[in-house]
Amino acid sequence: MTPLLSLRQVSKTFGTGPRAVDAVRNVSFDVTHGECLAVVGESGSGKTTLANMILGVFGQSSGEILFDGKGLPTRRTLEHRSAIQLVQQNPLSSLNPKRSVGASIRLGLDVFGIGTRSDRWRLVEDALEEVGLPGDFRRRPPAALSGGQCQRVAIARALACQSRLVILDEPTSALDVLVQARVLRLLEDLRRDKGLSYVFITHDLSVVRNVADRVAVFREGELVECAETRAIFEDPKVDYTRQLIGAVPVISDDELKLRESLSGGLPA
Amino acid sequence: MSEVLAIRDLCLRFRGYSGVSEVLHGISLDIRAGERVALVGESGSGKSVTARIVLGLLQELPSAQVEGGLFFEGEDLNRLSRRQWQALRGTSISMIFQDPTSSLNPVFTIGTQFAEVLRRRDPGLSREAADERAGTLLQSVSIHDHARVLGAYPFQLSGGMNQRVVIAMALANHPSLLIADEPGTALDVTVQAKTLKLMHELVEQSGTAVFFISHNLGVVREFADRVFVIYRGRIVEQGPTPAIFEDPGHAYTRALMAAVPRITGGGLPDLNDSETAFLEPMVVHEGGDA
Repeated sequence: MTPLLSLRQVSKTFGTGPRAVDAVRNVSFDVTHGECLAVVGESGSGKTTLANMILGVFGQSSGEILFDGKGLPTRRTLEHRSAIQLVQQNPLSSLNPKRSVGASIRLGLDVFGIGTRSDRWRLVEDALEEVGLPGDFRRRPPAALSGGQCQRVAIARALACQSRLVILDEPTSALDVLVQARVLRLLEDLRRDKGLSYVFITHDLSVVRNVADRVAVFREGELVECAETRAIFEDPKVDYTRQLIGAVPVISDDELKLRESLSGGLPA
Repeated sequence: MSEVLAIRDLCLRFRGYSGVSEVLHGISLDIRAGERVALVGESGSGKSVTARIVLGLLQELPSAQVEGGLFFEGEDLNRLSRRQWQALRGTSISMIFQDPTSSLNPVFTIGTQFAEVLRRRDPGLSREAADERAGTLLQSVSIHDHARVLGAYPFQLSGGMNQRVVIAMALANHPSLLIADEPGTALDVTVQAKTLKLMHELVEQSGTAVFFISHNLGVVREFADRVFVIYRGRIVEQGPTPAIFEDPGHAYTRALMAAVPRITGGGLPDLNDSETAFLEPMVVHEGGDA
């Protein structure tokens, strides 16, 4: 089966001449149907640049991005744009404060021509119910919702567009731990029920351990290791991965034992 | 052991357009000399306001009503004049904020800001002497090219570097209490681990007591001697760190622990949605009560 998303030797350089910055260098990986691939790395490792290239915010400098086996053009068609959706870190700033959350969700339906005009408010309410919010929340502004509720709206917005691949850019970093657990559970259920694929960008390795099928570790724009989640945590091949896992604050002795068994020490 | 900080039945209310909202419902805690005490809770539970009350910053807001006892080294803080309280800040009590880059002033160099801090205790200090003292202090936080750092502006340094500068500044005047409000949350995980290790070593050497505010249970477990868990303005559990983590007694603490994803795997937790149990009375572990 062809993978849903393939990156082949993708690079991105910002600027030219001596001040050029290679934000992403020669990155290749696949995301299969229904898979959750975690992209981890520290700030400046190129995670968000990668997301922007997959979304088509800007084109890659070289290499190829394939969706469903076909090359994605830099200028995306409506079909591509609806199939690849984004959920951002801070829902309060990613939702338009002057629109009701229903209007924010509906905008995608209008742009992509999903459903008939009379049908769309019902679709908006269905999408809200799917993420565990009452349908009549659609009249509320984002300011009247809590952080966790806003993030659910952002997820509903991505789902309503009939997406197949969702880029989750730090979707739970701004949330409290109890809220985070519920949102992660929701994302898992939606992935299973709807056969979605995720590119899960995060720096939180303990979240990755519990939600991802595979992990891609980035450092300074390069993909340093990519493997099954269990292999990454139990037998990392690269020192940098060891160091990342070694720095995770843990709450139980079992975790401490695992961390010490890797004993990477902290990077200089 | 003597208490550095004692808080007794602290209540806080904010007056707003829509009436009065109660934020703290009578919290009590104490910190002994050289001890590291953590206050853990979710956003909006009242962690940061508690820190600001100890510094006397919130009392200056006309909309805030603060009641309750505050004692620093046996002295009643409520009886201090504004000027006396101001004299404590930055000398006997200092604070580290969450985002180091925005807590430093962007229009002055690190050297200028460091001199200002040192002159709080030693007003006549010359700039040369201040730079020399700052240099040694920066050495202690493993910044070795201190001449460059002192001449730089905060935005020219990385987040981790700024955090170390802020730690050096906070400890410069040998405070007896350091308040750390989510230090390292804004930093990468490897930088955070290094920063905390460094802070741990420094407070151990200088015998400074630390009031550590965080929402990250993993960080708290690694840093604190004693833990207070706060939920909606009430302390729900308190005790020595190992007791809290091995045997959490309160429903809220147990829910918090269950919600933390583990690096050993095990999948996502199933959360019980009932929050009524979170309002049960406080659980105090042996040794948690001073």
